Amino acid sequence: MDSDDEFMSDVSSQDDFLGTQGSDDESLGEDFDDLDAGFSDDKDLIKHKKKPYEVEYKVLDPHDIDQEQLGQVNEVCAILGLPPESVAILLRFGRWNKEKLIESYMEHPEETLEEAGLGSNFEGTAKTEIVPGFMCDICCEDRDDLETYAMRCGHRYCVDCYRHYLGQKIKEEGEAARIQCPGDGCNRIVDSKSLDLLVTKELQGRYRELLTRTYVDDKENLKWCPAPNCQYAIDCGVKNRDLRRIVPTVRCFCKHEFCFGCSLSDHQPAPCTLVKMWLQKCEDDSETANWISANTKECTKCNSTIEKNGGCNHMTCRKCKYEFCWMCMGLWSEHGTSWYNCNRYEEKSGADARSAQAKSRSSLERYLHYYNRYANHEQSAKLDKDLYLKTEKKMTSLQSQSGLSWIEVQFLDTASQALQQCRQTLKWTYAFAFYLARNNLTEIFEDNQKDLEMAVESLSEMFEKPVADLAELKVDILDKTAYCNKRRVILLSDTAENLKNGEWSFNIDW
Amino acid sequence: MSLCQNRLQEERKQWRRDHPFGFVAKPKRAPQGGLDLKNWECAIPGKANTLWEGGLFKIDLIFPDEYPTKPPKCKFTPPLFHPNVYPSGTVCLSILNEEEGWRPAITIKQLLLGIQDLLDDPNPESPAQADAYNLFKKDRPAYERKVRIAVKENQPN
Repeated sequence: MDSDDEFMSDVSSQDDFLGTQGSDDESLGEDFDDLDAGFSDDKDLIKHKKKPYEVEYKVLDPHDIDQEQLGQVNEVCAILGLPPESVAILLRFGRWNKEKLIESYMEHPEETLEEAGLGSNFEGTAKTEIVPGFMCDICCEDRDDLETYAMRCGHRYCVDCYRHYLGQKIKEEGEAARIQCPGDGCNRIVDSKSLDLLVTKELQGRYRELLTRTYVDDKENLKWCPAPNCQYAIDCGVKNRDLRRIVPTVRCFCKHEFCFGCSLSDHQPAPCTLVKMWLQKCEDDSETANWISANTKECTKCNSTIEKNGGCNHMTCRKCKYEFCWMCMGLWSEHGTSWYNCNRYEEKSGADARSAQAKSRSSLERYLHYYNRYANHEQSAKLDKDLYLKTEKKMTSLQSQSGLSWIEVQFLDTASQALQQCRQTLKWTYAFAFYLARNNLTEIFEDNQKDLEMAVESLSEMFEKPVADLAELKVDILDKTAYCNKRRVILLSDTAENLKNGEWSFNIDW
Repeated sequence: MSLCQNRLQEERKQWRRDHPFGFVAKPKRAPQGGLDLKNWECAIPGKANTLWEGGLFKIDLIFPDEYPTKPPKCKFTPPLFHPNVYPSGTVCLSILNEEEGWRPAITIKQLLLGIQDLLDDPNPESPAQADAYNLFKKDRPAYERKVRIAVKENQPN
């Protein structure tokens, strides 16, 4: 059994999911060689051979993002021979698509510059000037010592007005990449050099921040971590069109795990599209469906949904006037004289009616089956979070009661985290399973699901034990934690493999 | 003095020195006497050789404290039959939108001339009232009849 599991988790794990789909056969061979070396060697798991459900990504801090931008600007500078502040504007205009930009610049330099809001005049340095006899068109000031500024478009205004204008754009409107010249009808973009010359340090900082923001928004391979107040971005090569085959879960430095495809929190093994459908369905249906299931039956003749709101079992359908017995669902007339006393379970009409009823209910029941388990794990994960907080207390009391050191009680923390992670996974397995068609693969999936669920519940149980016993149970808990993690890896690997190879058959089109 | 007041005073000076023929623009009287520079009463004549010829359309310009960083609000009183004028009388025009074409350097003169151009050259991309827009799109003769009525209702005193 053990070696089997290992086999499943490791099949073609070296595979890079991007584009190496064809090579599965060879890697299968390699993995057989690994088999004996495999199971007990946990270091392997830690040292990270990439598992099939993992994707390549990098976490970037704001400094990295700046550096990346700078690198691209410099690269294009070298090719086009334009000043860096202008190239930055060009690149932002072309949404950082270097090749396309360079191509269009090479073909129509003037038009490209004009469209990007640059113009083709690159002479002169950015500096403020005092121009004799000048009156600012914005404030109408004409003092002799008035400092003025103009970009290369030549629209000259006093420094105060310029500053005021830029401040308004940056602070109030959150604009940075497309601040235009204050002149009427002039599309020239204010470049970073002019900006640095004119505004305060604080505004320059904000300006850069906004630029970084648009940079990340513009690039397909970058995404902000959606956690509140998190300043990191993720760089991941998974494209939108890959999302049918991959669930790209990434983990930010802030510890938040989320899906790079849709920015929702981690929903492995279910792919984004199914997740969206599932969430939509749950929002629309679950409570209503629950109520219908608990309180109503359908008329066996016309299928109208009927709520029984009185005590008598003699039902007459409002719609089709069909008369039947609420208990056995059979024709009322067949009850003969033993009305109001239903003991006719074997009667044919009743049995038929019940089976039709069962059919129409089964799809509803099926949905509720998955929904209830999904919701249960969601709920349990929430409770486990409370548990986690209690765990911290347990850890301190364990230290004082049993003389264990801080490092020796960390196993509780690890266990609690594993528990939460596994529940998160389990929750989404139910959403995924709801959309699966029945076949052998699905059965294997359900077995894996069952194994993980059992592992999780038995670990969860450990947390209910009194603190005094925990020290003795340490080995047990460690084992169970490891087992949970292992089961999770197996389930996710199996699912991801099949997803990548398009093996799953679904009961819907998506 | 604040940028807003300063600029408006200068605008007033410029206007008195020279302004396009037929246009009116002057600050309202403040309730406590004196001028309310942030509230102007203006009037725009319809262009010659257009449907709008002969009309003089009253419009209020209300300047925010942030002027000229932010544009004034321009409002026809009474509201005008025109695809780009809201039922309230407010004009919808790119140069009057701070996120689009507004620039601090746009003068009152340019602004009023811009609105005059808009009269005979509506922008079907940003309709502001249903009546005028629908007629303009679907029934041009009816639209023109309504414009002529509007011109008749807005004669110079």
